[in-house]
Formats: sequence, C-alpha cells, structure tokens
Amino acid sequence: MKISTKGRYGLRALVDLAANAQDSPLALAEIAGRQKISLNYLEQVFGTLRKAGIVRSVKGPSGGYMLGRDAAQITVEEVLRALEGEFSIAPQEPGQEPDLVQRAIQRLVWDRIDEKVNEILTSKSLAALVTEYQGLKQASDNMYYL
Amino acid sequence: MRISTKGIYALEIITDLAMHSGEESLESLKNIAGRRGLSEKYLERIVKGMKESKLVTSVRGAKGGYCLARDASKITVKEVLMAAEGELAPVACLTKETDCGIDCESCPTRGVWGEIWEGILMTADSVSVQDIIDEVRRS
Repeated sequence: MKISTKGRYGLRALVDLAANAQDSPLALAEIAGRQKISLNYLEQVFGTLRKAGIVRSVKGPSGGYMLGRDAAQITVEEVLRALEGEFSIAPQEPGQEPDLVQRAIQRLVWDRIDEKVNEILTSKSLAALVTEYQGLKQASDNMYYL
Repeated sequence: MRISTKGIYALEIITDLAMHSGEESLESLKNIAGRRGLSEKYLERIVKGMKESKLVTSVRGAKGGYCLARDASKITVKEVLMAAEGELAPVACLTKETDCGIDCESCPTRGVWGEIWEGILMTADSVSVQDIIDEVRRS
C-alpha cells in the first residue's frame, strides 16, 4: 500500500512553495533545487495542481507559481486527490459482483480505513504542514549552529 | 494508495478458513481455493505467510489440513494484513532508508505520512476475524 511518487513529491514541493512564496511568485527551479526534484517532473506535477486550482502561474520575467488560495484553505486531501485520483485502499473491481465475504470485509475493513485516512487528510491544511516544516527547519538549523 | 491483492485475498482466505474449520475439523487448501475461486498454488503462498506469523496451523497427513492457530476473536485484521503485506506503511521511507534527495529531519511531509500509517494500523487493529464472520452471518 503506497502513495504514488507524484503524490509524495507533489505534496513536498507544494509545502515548499507555501513556505517560501509569500507575496511574489516562486520559480519552480528554486523548489526543484531545495527539494532535490527534477525540474521537468515538477513542471508536470504543477500542471496538474494548476488545473485543480491549487496553484496558479504568473507569467513574465519574475514569474513562477503561487498558491491558488490561502494555505489554510487548502487541505492535504484535495492535494492528494488532485495528484493521485480518488483515494481508496481497496478499490472495487468494476463488473465483479462481490460475494458475502468480500462485502463484509469491504464494510468492516476497507471502508473504515478509507474513512479514517480521509478524516486525517481533510483535517490537515497545507498551512499546518508549513508550520510543522518551519519547526523542523528551525530545529535542524539550531543543531547546525550548536 | 491501495493495498495489494495479496492483502485482500489473505483476509478473504482466513475468513473462509475460520468459517469452515475447527480444531477437530481441519480444512484443505483445495476446498478454500475452490470456494474463493483462487488457484491452489497462489493460496499456498499466502497461507505460508500466515503460518509463519502463527495465525494458522496445519497438520500433515491423510487427515491433515488447516485451521486457525487461535480463536478468530483473537486474530486482528492488522495481523493478517501484516502477514501478507509487511509493514502497511503508505510510503517506504517510514520503514527503511530511501534515497529521495533530502534528509528525513527536514522532510515537510514525513509527519502526515506517519499519521496516515498510524490511522491505518489503528483501524486494522480494531477489527477481528470474528467481527468479519459475524458481519457475513448477519447479511
């Protein structure tokens, strides 16, 4: 059971953008450098995020990307849904009628896990991740200077 | 994010085994495979993992077969899925070192992946094989 590469790198890059683009757009090359993600790949990922309205692009010499709205208004759930598609730990195979055992497992296990994961991701905003990230950065900077 | 077919089948197989066996009445893999529509070879591989994790036991010989190693109410979904799938972590870097380019200490997303993992484990730990059997019989 794994989150896809697109989901992992995309969310990481988005937290970087939210933490570092305050009032002016951020060039993807900058995020790529800090997060060690290839620029080519980031361009793809940000294309997807832009279509979902999570980021917007600003054209021009000092152009780049900005969040589509306030980080507090963007949940991790919608970011992952944009990057990964619908979230389900055991998606039902189309065209196959589940039997009694499969239906019981669906209700008791898969539906409950999906609900729990959704609850966690919906209650978490991008702003919360930025706060965590800044705390981590500060802690590791302090370590460095000690 | 999805679980592998191995995990899905493991839960179906142990539920089927639990419903068709007891300490005095062992069940053959052939019968389980027939009911679940799976190949016996594939079933063997999945059951091997559950045997190693001490969720099922087997007796060899003409009257041999399989049954649960303990009461179905004492076997959790978490144990079954871990026997089939390993750690159930949503990203590999939670359980082993991976080369993603940055240090875990400064990773902006490690926290949220950890929370998902915990949520999955907690939920899977709260359901027993007996709960599934009860749900089957209710329907």
